[in-house]
Amino acid sequence: MKYKISIFFIIGLILYLIDIGLNYNDEKEIFISDQEIISLVSAWKSQVGRNPNDDEITRIINNLVEEEILYREALKLGLDREDRIIKRRLAQKISFLKQESIPNAPSNDDLIEYFKKNSDKYFIDSTYTFRHYFFSSENNSKERSAKAYTDLLNEVSINSDPFFLGKNFVDATIRKIENEFGKDFSLNFLNVELNKWIGPLESAFGHHIIYVTNQREGYLPDITDVIKQVEVDFLQSKRDEAIENYLNEIRSEYKIYINPDLQI
Amino acid sequence: MKYLRNALLTVIGLYLITLGLVYVDVYDSRPIISLFKNIQSDSALEIVDFSTDKKDISGKPRPKPNKDRNPYYGDLHVHTKYSFDAYVFGVTASPDDAYRYAKGEGVKHPLGYEMKLREPLDFYAVTDHGFYMGMIQAYADTTTDISQNEFAEPFHNLNRLDNLTVESAGERSNIFSSVLGATIIQPYPDWHPKLLKAYLTRNTQSALESFDYDIHKSAWADVARSANEHNDPGHFTTFIGYEFTTSTDIEGGNLHRNVIFNSSKASIRPWTRIDSTNPEDLWTWQDRLREKGIDTIAMPHNSNGSNGQMFEMETFTGNAFTDEYAKKRMRNEPLVEITQVKGTSDTHPLLSPDDEWADFEIMDVRVGSRPPTYSKPSGSYVREAYLNGLTLEFTRQGNPYKFGLIGSSDTHVVAASLDESNFWSKVGLLDGDPENRGSVPLKEENVERLDEYMRAFNQPISTVNLEQGEYANTGFTQWGASGLAAAWAEENTRESIFNAFRRKETFATTGTRIAVRFFGGYDLSSIDLDSESLVSEAYQKGVTMGSDLLHDEKKNPEFLVWAQRDKNGAPLQRIQIIKGWIDNNSGRPKEKVFDVACSDGLQPDPVTNRCPDNGARVNIEDCSISVNVGSSELKTVWKDPEFVPADKTFYYVRVLENPTCRWSTWDAIKAGYKPREGLHETIQERAWSSPIWYIPKQSDVDVIPLGGTIRLRNTN
Repeated sequence: MKYKISIFFIIGLILYLIDIGLNYNDEKEIFISDQEIISLVSAWKSQVGRNPNDDEITRIINNLVEEEILYREALKLGLDREDRIIKRRLAQKISFLKQESIPNAPSNDDLIEYFKKNSDKYFIDSTYTFRHYFFSSENNSKERSAKAYTDLLNEVSINSDPFFLGKNFVDATIRKIENEFGKDFSLNFLNVELNKWIGPLESAFGHHIIYVTNQREGYLPDITDVIKQVEVDFLQSKRDEAIENYLNEIRSEYKIYINPDLQI
Repeated sequence: MKYLRNALLTVIGLYLITLGLVYVDVYDSRPIISLFKNIQSDSALEIVDFSTDKKDISGKPRPKPNKDRNPYYGDLHVHTKYSFDAYVFGVTASPDDAYRYAKGEGVKHPLGYEMKLREPLDFYAVTDHGFYMGMIQAYADTTTDISQNEFAEPFHNLNRLDNLTVESAGERSNIFSSVLGATIIQPYPDWHPKLLKAYLTRNTQSALESFDYDIHKSAWADVARSANEHNDPGHFTTFIGYEFTTSTDIEGGNLHRNVIFNSSKASIRPWTRIDSTNPEDLWTWQDRLREKGIDTIAMPHNSNGSNGQMFEMETFTGNAFTDEYAKKRMRNEPLVEITQVKGTSDTHPLLSPDDEWADFEIMDVRVGSRPPTYSKPSGSYVREAYLNGLTLEFTRQGNPYKFGLIGSSDTHVVAASLDESNFWSKVGLLDGDPENRGSVPLKEENVERLDEYMRAFNQPISTVNLEQGEYANTGFTQWGASGLAAAWAEENTRESIFNAFRRKETFATTGTRIAVRFFGGYDLSSIDLDSESLVSEAYQKGVTMGSDLLHDEKKNPEFLVWAQRDKNGAPLQRIQIIKGWIDNNSGRPKEKVFDVACSDGLQPDPVTNRCPDNGARVNIEDCSISVNVGSSELKTVWKDPEFVPADKTFYYVRVLENPTCRWSTWDAIKAGYKPREGLHETIQERAWSSPIWYIPKQSDVDVIPLGGTIRLRNTN
């Protein structure tokens, strides 16, 4: 009698060990099938209307891998089973996905360091103060503006059109000029000469002759002037970082297999 | 035994006396009941300062105000994860994400692709549904107490990463339908202390089992915090806001309104449909907030899907309009959203048969109806409401429909979808790709899935078989890439833009950045249209959009209109002035569309009032448009050739671009199909100004309507 029971016990143990062995290998391997990538790429394509470039494909695949990892981790914690303790542990994981594990008041050193690292984010752009003569594309702007330019140099009075957004622009950034006149036009300001009639320059609305009276160079403000913005951005970056760190921590435990020969 | 009987009699006696006292009812005043009211506090009137104590946060130099005003573009209708439906649609993006998007950063669609604006916006307001704000997210989060209830189970971990798929759409729609249904709105039993507390704080929602007031308040506080944090005076403006999501009881007539606040302070919670479904109560609440120094504006939207209820000829409770009602309504909702993703509400072909541009982005079903149910045009469109407003004035009931115009998106994925060539629609996983929104045929494996989804959506037919294959019959084909609110303000600050809203100095666009000036006056033709001082002179000599133009003897008014194209859009085709009036003799409302400025130097025909064809065409093969046709700007001074000094009249401007491909055409050609049949292949993007109302001399004749329920003008 005792024998028979031990035999079942031993068979059970062997099966259990085999099972563990097999599962262990499975658990940390991710196979991304061609099918999955192709279907994601085609979804991308149907929205955007063109094939993704290499960068974008990398991003799509990375997202897929991250998603898979988070998913597996959740399964490992037993999301698929209804158990209160596991729910609690899962909740800890979700809690930082929900960005709650962030310190409320960052220290000054944290902020200064963040400010230094991301100084271009706080850079105050150069601004330009200028006035302009406008010649509407509705009214032969090319020839009129060319003639007006020579007239201006000869100090003959000229006939221009009113511009919809006005004649004088004070302390306008390149971005603002781009928003109001168009990108090509705004590029003319990058190395502009002061106190001189310049033109004719073409915009989306016609031609312009501009006279820039003041350019204020861009500068990096003192941190105390933008401290609140730095604090807001710092906390946001911490929230993003929390998820990233978590992923990095566990990503190294995984081996990832992607078909290198896949053609898209 | 005797004591017992006496006690019993006393109790019964006291009970009867109390009943008697409580029900002493002289019309609507119950003196005893109102005594009890004194012990109530009103939780919806508690003011909280949500400001984050930082001014000029970006440290950037602040541009000087422009007395001639600048056009600022924005969106006042944006949903985030805090909306009960957005969360169900797979949206996990926050108000912070919404504001970052508006400032020009990219954010992610629930389906994974990036959404980014071509040009940043000047202002933005997150307006989550006030009703159940933040609650669905709490149901889904299994760490909250409230998620442990039975009703919360379907929501558990709904938006976990592996469930953000198109395949989960069926489950999602089903949940969506059940939320607005009464299934989860169960009050606590009568004896429960929360019921008493709800009574004492006038906060009905806290008596509901499925409601957690703390979660609700913290969601609202986060919306307000985010708005204040992103507000950057001079550069970017935000408004604390929410959507009051109400409807009529029986027909489900949509009465939704967005509410925005003028300061960093706001009430501790939004006033919602659980407080009252009657918009008049919302206005009362707004009035009370105003007494406390907090100004708010409500903006109705999707009147097109209201089945005629938004612009009814009687009140919510079926009473006649009065002057008092009209004033209260206009004090609290001076603006209406004329266009958004779910269609445009300018007018309907049945209402304006002589307007060739009336058949534009019509959505003809009631908002949220399952199965989709026809929404009747009358009472649902802006132009008819303006006319009805004049009729109501004619019968001395005041004009409750004297509102200005804005557009907005109503996006539920935090990012407004404004570009026809890059459209992601509104409801996240349900319409985030072309197959599901019905612009390209379904792949075979998706037909069955859609079938399941549509059953959950309670839609009788899930697909239709057309020339190029089986298409989704989702109704999303009637939605579109629209719209924007624009305000003429001195500077980009909360105060300046809010004041523009108050003045109704606003215009609406279908997502394009057309800009339009509009003035009315009696001496505008004296202004040189080629002069630099054109605008400041027009402000001096006339009134601008949103204003009244008083009669001046019997002079014929003049209108100055000036429009500029969107530099990234199509050129302008024409400017129209839409005139509506009440014939003073017959009392009949009438309307007429005048082309007043044509592109390419063309002139409107004096008989038909139409511009000749400028020849602009769209190539449907690749969506390219004719080059060198259309105008970069149009301006003119116009005089109404049919002006009658005694008629109450309004005028508003419509600016039309040359035709371009509609989003459904873009979707199709990108996927290698022809455009789906039965849909408009092209659209003409457009802008509408707020009207100018001409006020004639008051007539000596008093109108006495039959029926006698209408309060007459006091003529002593």
